[in-house]
Parts: sequence; C-alpha cells; structure tokens
Amino acid sequence: MRIGAFSPQQPAPDGATTAERRIQMRKVIGLGAVVLTGVLLAATAAQAGRRDTVKLTFATYVWQPTTVAATKSIVDSWNKSHSNIQVEIVPVDVNSVHDKLLTNFVGGTAADIIHDEAADIAGFTQQGYLANLKPLLPKSLKASIPNRIWDTVNFGGKITGVPSLMQTYNVFANMDILKSAGIKAPTLAKPWTWAQFRSVAKRLTTSDRFGVCWGLRSPTAAIQTMSLNYGGQFFYLEKGKWVFKWGAGEQAVVRQMHDMIHVDKSVDAAATGLSGSAVLPAFFGGKCAMTVQGNFSAQSMILQGPKDFNWAMFPLLKGKTQDQVANPQTYSVSQQSTHKKEAVQFIAYLLNQKNMAKLAAGDWLIPASPAAGKVARRSTKHPGSWKVATASVVHFRKGNWVSLAAYARWKAEVATPQFVQYLKDAITLNQLGDELSKGWDRVR
Amino acid sequence: MIVSSHPKRAKTGQYLVLLLYVIFLGFPLLWMLSVSFKGPRELVELYPSLIPDHITFDNYSTALHEADLVRSAVNSLKIAVITSLVTTMIGLPAAYVLARRRGLITRLGLGWILLSQMFPLILIIIPLFLLLRDLHLTNSHAGLILVYVVWALPFILWMLQSYVRGIPRDVEEAATVDGATRAQILVGIIAPLLAPGIVVTTLFAFITAWNEFFFALVILQSPDLTTLPLRLAQFVGIEGIVRLGPLAAAALLATTPSLVLFTIIQRWLTRGLLSGAVKG
Repeated sequence: MRIGAFSPQQPAPDGATTAERRIQMRKVIGLGAVVLTGVLLAATAAQAGRRDTVKLTFATYVWQPTTVAATKSIVDSWNKSHSNIQVEIVPVDVNSVHDKLLTNFVGGTAADIIHDEAADIAGFTQQGYLANLKPLLPKSLKASIPNRIWDTVNFGGKITGVPSLMQTYNVFANMDILKSAGIKAPTLAKPWTWAQFRSVAKRLTTSDRFGVCWGLRSPTAAIQTMSLNYGGQFFYLEKGKWVFKWGAGEQAVVRQMHDMIHVDKSVDAAATGLSGSAVLPAFFGGKCAMTVQGNFSAQSMILQGPKDFNWAMFPLLKGKTQDQVANPQTYSVSQQSTHKKEAVQFIAYLLNQKNMAKLAAGDWLIPASPAAGKVARRSTKHPGSWKVATASVVHFRKGNWVSLAAYARWKAEVATPQFVQYLKDAITLNQLGDELSKGWDRVR
Repeated sequence: MIVSSHPKRAKTGQYLVLLLYVIFLGFPLLWMLSVSFKGPRELVELYPSLIPDHITFDNYSTALHEADLVRSAVNSLKIAVITSLVTTMIGLPAAYVLARRRGLITRLGLGWILLSQMFPLILIIIPLFLLLRDLHLTNSHAGLILVYVVWALPFILWMLQSYVRGIPRDVEEAATVDGATRAQILVGIIAPLLAPGIVVTTLFAFITAWNEFFFALVILQSPDLTTLPLRLAQFVGIEGIVRLGPLAAAALLATTPSLVLFTIIQRWLTRGLLSGAVKG
C-alpha cells in the first residue's frame, strides 16, 4: 500500500468518501471544460474580428501645427466611424520625403497611403511603386476636382495620386507705402501685368527702401511656375522625347527678374541670396514695399507681422495670361499595399469638401476642389486673401516638367545653380539657356 | 624667443583674446537662448536684440508638449548610451590587437578601416535598409543601434589603436614577466592607462548617435521610436520656413545633455585628446 493513499471505502480526511470525491472532481472538470470552451470560442471570435479589421498606414509630411492637428482629427473621426478600417499616421520629415519614400519602396516597407506632390510621384509612377487609382476613384471625388488639375497626376493614362492642395506665387504689398505713393492696388478683375509690377517697383524704390524684397536662394520653382504667364513650358515632347527649349516664353520672367535687380535696381540684390521667408523681416520693417512669396506666406503675415501692419496679397501677375503651374500635394496608394480599395476609400474621406477645406486652412494652401475653396473662404477671418487665393484655381495649368522623372535631378543639379548665376549677373541669358539645355541632355 | 618686458600687460592681452574667442564660440548658443524666449513677432524684427523685449515660455511649452520632446530624448539617450558602450567594448580589444600585432593582416585591416570611411552615406543607405529588413530590424532601436555601432567603429578603432601605441610596450612586458595573461594585461593595465582615450572615443560614439539624423529618418517609422534630431526637424518646413522659437527651445534642450556631459568629463577629454596626439 502506498503511503497516503485511501481505499475506496475509507472515508477521506474531510469526511467525504472517495466515490463522492470522484463525482465532485468530475463536476469541477466538466465546469472547467465548459468555461474553457467558452473562453476559446470568445477568443476565436475576437481573433476573427481582428482579422476582419484592415489596418492602413498613412505616411504624411504635414508639419504646420494647424495641419498636423487637422490631419489627426480627420484620421480620428475616420477611425471612430470605420471600425473595420483603421488608419495609423506615420509622420515623414517634410524636407526628406523623397529619400524616405524611396527607401521604403525599395525595401518593401512603404505605407499604404502616401502624401507627396505631383512632381515627385512622376518618378515613383515610372518605377511602378504607385497604384493606378483610376478604376478605384469614386465618381464624387473625381468630379470635385477640375480636369486640368487631374492632368497633373495623369501619367500616360494612369492616375497615381489624388491632387489636394496647391500654391501660387503672389505679390504681397505694404499697403501704407502704396497708399502714400498714390498707387492703387490691383484687383481680381484688373490684375497687374509684369510691366506694371516692374514700373510700380521702380516708383517705390527710394534711397532707404527697395520696391521689392525677393528671396531667390532657390528660384527655380518660382521662375518656372510663373513662366507659364508667357506660355514657357521649358520641356516639350518631340518625337516621343522630352526636349528642353529656351524660347521667348521661357526667358520672359527670369529676364524681368534679372533686370529689376540689375537694371532698375528696384529689387534688393543683397536679399536675393536669402530664402523666400528670410526677407520678411525687411518687408515688415518697411525696408521694401513689396515682396513675392508663396500664397501660404499670408499665414506669416498674420502671425508674425507687426500688429498694425497693413498688408495685402495681390492677384496673380499677368504676362500673356495669369496661368501658373499646378504642382499639387497628392495622396497616392502604394503598389505594395494589400488594401488598395480601402486606402482609396480613406483618401476620398480625407479629401471630401469639408476635410480638404480644413487641411487647406491649416497650411494656407489652395484646395484643388473649388467647393472646398468656398468652405475655406466662409470659415476664415481673412476672407480677402482667401478670395484672391481661391480665385487662382482657374489659372492652374499642367506644367510639362511636373511629370518628368528626371526633373528633380535637373532642378537640383542644373537649374537652381544656373538661375542663381544669372540672377547674380555672372552669366548672360544666352549662356543660361545653353547651360540649362546641356544640363537636361546630361541628366534625362 | 621674444620675452615681453611687460608680463602683466601681455597676460591681460592673452586673456582678452581668449575672452573674444570664447564669445565667438559661445555666441550661437547665447543667440539660441535669446531666440528661445522670444515671441513670433519679435523673431522677425528688422533689428533684433539679444535680450528679448517680452520674455515668453511658449516656445518651451510647444517644444515639450507638441513635439513630445521628453520621449524622444529618452529614446536618443537609450540609443546613444548603448551605442557608445557596445562600440567601446568591441573597439578596445580590437584596437589593442591592431596596435600590438604587426603584419599584413593588421595593415590590411587598418587600410580597410580607412577605406570604409570613404563610402558616402547615400550610397549605402538602400542596401543597408534591405539588410535590416531581412533581419527584421527596421523600425526598431536595435537596428538603429547596430547601424550606429558599425558606423562609429572604424573611427573609434583608428583613434584607440593610436592611443594604445602611445603606451610603452615595457609596461606590458613587465606584467608578462610577473605572470599576467593577455586578458589581465588588457583589463588591468592597458584599459586604465587608456582611460582618457576611452572617454574620448566613447563620447565620440555617444555624440554620433545622439546627433545622427539620416539613418534614424530612414530606419524608424513609428512616432514612439523617434529620436531627438527627427523631432527637431519637425520645426523646419518647406521653402526655408522655420518655426524658429520652438526650434531654438527644443535645440537648447537637446544640447543640454551633451553640454553637461562635456563639462563633467572635460578634464579627461583634454588629456585624452593630447595622449591621442602622441605617437608611440
């Protein structure tokens, strides 16, 4: 007999017989089995629920606190109302978007939804990293944005991004200086021509003040965007090849900028080496009557300008037309994403009228959807500059360079240094054209 | 040699020059301090002053709350400390071997170390990322630390081996005669003599990891894992637009640990730098 064991008839120490204990034990095991089955069933159901939930990552480079907050609130409200499609924001540094995305694409770790700009996604589209959204786009989203803006993201019939916000280059003026000089501000109906702008800048230049402060450290985007005023596209498709051309349309804007600096001396030559926003202290301090800035600088005027600073943002300058190149921010879906349909659903929500207006208000950029522009105009305390900004939508056109994969390299390695040389008067206009052309032949 | 006939005047002149140099070196930091207490309007004044007209702490509040600076600082500190420790632990014995063993392999090793410093970052980033992805180390601190260790190691090996060469072999030979093993010599004799050099190289590894931006940008994705340089970059926007006030406040807070560290170990640092300069 084993020590400590009981015979069947022997009473156990607590008074119960062994048979009774067996019955009790069976009950406990039975109950345990029921509980365990229940737990397993519940866990399986929860697991199935989790499997049904689609998780999307959303890489965005928004950086202004107001836009960060707007994006977060849109994502939160989506997540609340779409329990089966959850979106997670992955912040990307605004100045390293291309490098970050390229590495992620090559490494196969790209986010599902990608925030970028039209000029940058051209290369990614060519490399096959972005999904064609054409068959997935809801009709309402397609209809909310004008066709000429959709053109900027149409790469040989493939639409690989949804355009959202855009910027223009505008003249900002110190209205007190203009008034005291008896100069009338231009209106949407009667915008200034380049010749008028040049003449006003000259008139406003005095011994202690320049007519214009213009930060031209990286002038390529401004020059090329505004060159469309004269039809300057720079790149033309000939026999299936993109060639660089240096005609009158391409030369007009940069020549006038050069002459304002070196012939009229109405643009502060010393300030041309600064970035666009770095000239604002001089503008606020009355050292120049006007400045040319991205339209989003209206926000800096409000937040940083002296409290009684009387400023205005003028309508787009006019050459032959007021056209400027549209290079909109875009929202794309990675080709690697396994949930493209859901990703497009989210983009459609992110860019509905109300939400696009929210994002536009945060960045002070122009919404691609005119209806969203109206919402932004209604909800702002600064309707004047918003009216000018949103009225620009009709002047946006596709710039050929926006869809060229080699453009980013040409801009960085060739165009920017050569434009700077010309604006410093170190080379002639013809030399500039030659250098730009040779550079394109090298990098394309 | 020219001896001044007015030693007091010469000394005053020396101190004056030194003071000017210190002001020259310290001015950016002073300016950053000033900017960090200014409001947005004061930041774009045409004639800025060193002392703010209206002191505001808003920039610090923005830096700490909006940018979640504390979490990023903890991440950076963790990564920098582990990187510097691991680099030193690998670098010390390796540098000892490189300094004491002469031969073809050592020469080839030193040549390779120099050569590895010549690869531009942009050239290696994609292969490196692919490698980390295969090891499931992207979007992790472990992956970033691994990269930093590999990145800092060549320079540290080069520095440490020159420090080791500065220590006379006689010391080791005496220890060998007394029956000490190689490991005992390395830990008990070489390491204490190398202390200033170790401090310098550890600090180098620490600063490299603390300040590094590009690898962290590419490897990390989750906001919770973000390091300080990535957070600071959030204050720099497109087309040269900078949120200068919060950036100055955040940068000042980010610089403080390095400043404190340098202040504590500056005595070691100067000794270390000098001993590194002497060839054995």
